[in-house]
Amino acid sequence: MKPAPFEYHAPSSAGEAVGLLANLGDAAKVIAGGQSLVPVLAMRLAVFDHLIDIRRINALRGIAERDGRVWIGAGTTEAEIGRSELIAARVPLLARATPLIGHFQIRNRGTIGGSLAHADAAAEYPAVALALDATIEALSPRGRRTIPATGFFTGIWSTALEPDEVLTGVTFPARGHRSGFAIEEFSRRAGDFAVAGAAVAVELGPGGRISRCGIGLFGLGTTPLRSVSAETLAVGVSAQTLAAGTAAQSPEFAREIGQAAVADLESVPSDRHGPAAYRKRVGAALVARAVTQAIEEARNG
Amino acid sequence: MVTANGAARYAGRRVRRVEDARLLTGAGTFVDDITRPGLLQACFVRSPHARARIVAIDASAALELPGVHAVFTAADLNGEVREAWYTGTGKLVPDTPRPPLAEGEARFAGDPVALVVADSRYVAEDAAELVDVDYEPLPAVADYATAGQSGALVHEAYPGNLAGQLGGAPWETLAAVYEGAPHVVSETIWQQAYAAVPMETRGLVVEWSRGRGELTIWAATQAPHEVRMFAARLLGVPEHLVRVITGDVGGGFGQKVVPLREDICLLLAARKVPAALKWVEDRQENLQSAGQARHEHGTAKLAFDADGQLIAAALDHVQDVGAYPTPWPVGTGAATGMIFPGPYRVTKGTFSHASVFSSTSGRVAYRGPWSFETLAREVTLDIAARRIGIDPAELRRRNLLRPDEMPFANPNGMPYDHMDPLGTLEQALALLDYDAFRAEQARAREQGRWLGVGISCYAEPTSAGFGYYATEGATIRIEPSGKVNVYVAGGSTGNSLETTVVQLTADALGADIADVHTIQGDTAVTPFGAGTGGSRSGSMTAGAVGVTAAELRTKLIAMAAHQLEAAAADIELAGSRAGVRGDPAAGVSFAELADIAYFQPFKLPPGVTPGLEASGRYSPSAPILWACATHVCTCEVDITTGAVRLLRYIVGEDCGHMINPAVVEGQIAGGVVQGIGGALLEELAYDADGNPVATTFMDYLLPTAADVPEIEYAHVETTPGPGPGGYKGVGEGGAIGAPPAVVNAVADALSPFGVTITRLPLTPAAIVALIEKGQLTGEAQLIQEAQR
Repeated sequence: MKPAPFEYHAPSSAGEAVGLLANLGDAAKVIAGGQSLVPVLAMRLAVFDHLIDIRRINALRGIAERDGRVWIGAGTTEAEIGRSELIAARVPLLARATPLIGHFQIRNRGTIGGSLAHADAAAEYPAVALALDATIEALSPRGRRTIPATGFFTGIWSTALEPDEVLTGVTFPARGHRSGFAIEEFSRRAGDFAVAGAAVAVELGPGGRISRCGIGLFGLGTTPLRSVSAETLAVGVSAQTLAAGTAAQSPEFAREIGQAAVADLESVPSDRHGPAAYRKRVGAALVARAVTQAIEEARNG
Repeated sequence: MVTANGAARYAGRRVRRVEDARLLTGAGTFVDDITRPGLLQACFVRSPHARARIVAIDASAALELPGVHAVFTAADLNGEVREAWYTGTGKLVPDTPRPPLAEGEARFAGDPVALVVADSRYVAEDAAELVDVDYEPLPAVADYATAGQSGALVHEAYPGNLAGQLGGAPWETLAAVYEGAPHVVSETIWQQAYAAVPMETRGLVVEWSRGRGELTIWAATQAPHEVRMFAARLLGVPEHLVRVITGDVGGGFGQKVVPLREDICLLLAARKVPAALKWVEDRQENLQSAGQARHEHGTAKLAFDADGQLIAAALDHVQDVGAYPTPWPVGTGAATGMIFPGPYRVTKGTFSHASVFSSTSGRVAYRGPWSFETLAREVTLDIAARRIGIDPAELRRRNLLRPDEMPFANPNGMPYDHMDPLGTLEQALALLDYDAFRAEQARAREQGRWLGVGISCYAEPTSAGFGYYATEGATIRIEPSGKVNVYVAGGSTGNSLETTVVQLTADALGADIADVHTIQGDTAVTPFGAGTGGSRSGSMTAGAVGVTAAELRTKLIAMAAHQLEAAAADIELAGSRAGVRGDPAAGVSFAELADIAYFQPFKLPPGVTPGLEASGRYSPSAPILWACATHVCTCEVDITTGAVRLLRYIVGEDCGHMINPAVVEGQIAGGVVQGIGGALLEELAYDADGNPVATTFMDYLLPTAADVPEIEYAHVETTPGPGPGGYKGVGEGGAIGAPPAVVNAVADALSPFGVTITRLPLTPAAIVALIEKGQLTGEAQLIQEAQR
């Protein structure tokens, strides 16, 4: 369990990192917290001749609110996000997702940029980014661009990033008036990858009807998923309809949303921790629980 | 606690562990901390195939890599083996094959095929990738349960893949008993493979001193002296020229009880390389190749009279022994059958046992290697209770043995004695408040919450007192300063053996515990001992320290009486000082007596030899010390996700008197957590082609602190064993009792769903499948309808 030899680079600016990536091509890999990459290297599941460590690039770290949106630098650790009062107040879904990521030792090193760029289908942050319509920033020798989360996750551990692009930050909309959020996850043990999970954001409009519903699913496909059909089912419905129940015993309509969320899933994983049909059953229940909780919060609080 | 004669008594108290300060501050010394001049590192090339013919091995590219010293194959090492038998099983058993490196054929995915030696583990791993092995894949025997019918053989010399079988009385002799019984309950219980998974993986450093002809081995082992004897026989080096040094060891649980094939390879290679050679296994190797346990099934057949009294208990048992079981597995398999009747008043029964090869990692010892008997019996007892319509606690109450019925021979001839099984049940149920839990369970069910309680009872043979395990020695040296060193064989892998020995010695000598230190694990200075295993260390070291300290006590008393001009009968030893009964002013310290013993021999009384050192050896009179326990577990099952949350876990344990309750509880807790893992989480799984699919901690799930409730203890100390101090063994019991307690709790929670559990592990998905397949009872139907 020792990695093959590699050359280590520690650029001090994002531009320098992008330049290295452009020069070294496929032989190079960006490393930040290393919580996914290092095990892969140690088990020699992948070999890279060059690692470009972006942890020393200060411009890639930080949390700031700008024009009703919250920017988080790619190199910001999960632990920093978990501690941030700004995140807790303005992007509560992200704050609530954070303790579910691995264990504290992992969160001390793992970064939000790494989590999004690694795009693990069972990870929490990508699902949160989908549920909240986050915007991802990338830098390449051609300059800076932004990519909506909805178009970012393109396949198994793959994203819309070009080979010479570095993810530099992500922007979340700050929480709106009459909004509610919940994340529900089921894993074999605390800290394990999700067997199934759902991140839900709702906003209520005039008449207490649901004006926006974002449902991000994780552990239920080959990529993080957004459940558009279930969201559509929810939008326009009166929150009153959904509120008659507790999270543990979701009312009938929340259960329908849960069923809709998993109904047309095509590539639900089957592995040692649960066959596909089981994951769908659990996923439906978690969506229902999360939707119920999120609406409860939007109504009351 | 202070005894009648004024001496502080440490035994029975929660003395703080002497090991903790170094271990908790990262100052322990493990095998990987050992370094030697020019140290070389080893890495194995392992078969990726479950079964394959090895056509050719080309190591030329690996040998060209800078920093690579050697690549050994079976042709280089296997022929050098002189003798390769283990002292515990002896050389007369029909042992199964165990070549150091795979020869001709690879027999499981992970089978070591070549050994690379390089300057560093990094280079060794680079080189291992360059060793070109030409394999011709062959059909594997992936499933032991159907291996008898497989067209393929794991070992050609074993038709039907049968490694061996043993049995008790012929089953026909019981036919009439079963036919005439009012209730007969028979179930086949299936247990998955799981493993010890010690925090520290296997490893050793071997150094051959060409000039002196000495071999030094730093080993992560439970039995330093067995490593020495084995190495001596293996290499033909005289035993007294082999030295084994064992520092801190991060868990063994049976996996480190004897040298395994990789250890043998290192021993063979060490004389062929120019410097000390180290191998430290990585986690993937450990999960792939360090052996499996628990993979077995058995049909339990229980007969009851109309009142629920057990009439007969029989087990037909089959276990997977993988490709290279170590040590010989058939004897342990037979023990599974022999102990199957458990701590119950049952006089008829028998067993049959078969050990079957498969193309998987070899079966190795694991904490309570025979523990399947408890799983099969206790799970079937609960199924029987539901079928007969008796509460499972009551069914056990009617059948568990009482101390006044001892000695009691079980139907297979196991000679139970000195234990109180019923007492452990009653204490554990009282701690739970069983009736209150049943009431809570009923209320919860009305709310659609599914709670359950599970019970499991067992009798456990500990401290075997024969053969390799027959004796244990100690040397106690009161140094010239009066400080005390105690030398015992050791083999502690986290079992608190240092604390135990220090406590026992302080009591036995009347020394202040702060003045006592112990040296263990170095065969050059410690007396022979069989190491940790078979729940033997508490009682055996108590015996060894007892006989040895008695000799020194006599000497200290004689010297003190002479010095203080008092009668020997009036001398009291306490606090590292000899005093005179009734004369508080008179006294002489151990330091002063030691000064006399070493430097002023002319002051010794007539006939007393100089020095303050004694060696003694203990041999128990009882062949086995029987411990027993009842485990009670409660849980809640989420019927949507299948998740099991354990609520309370109670152990009523009869291990005799306790040397240190904290150590006893630590032993129980560790075992219980391993058993919980076995019931709910851990599975050393293979796919249908024999490929291992749980070789990292992402797939092999160990229980964490978050998965386990606080464990509660209800000690029963009223039936002490016949050995020193009344101590009995306690090392393995936790792991034996836990799986059935958890299974029974889940089955109880799900009983309204008509669920019968006969297969482990209880993953959430498996529980959901059981619920979906179950036949809802009337009660559950009503509750579910009410919730709609």
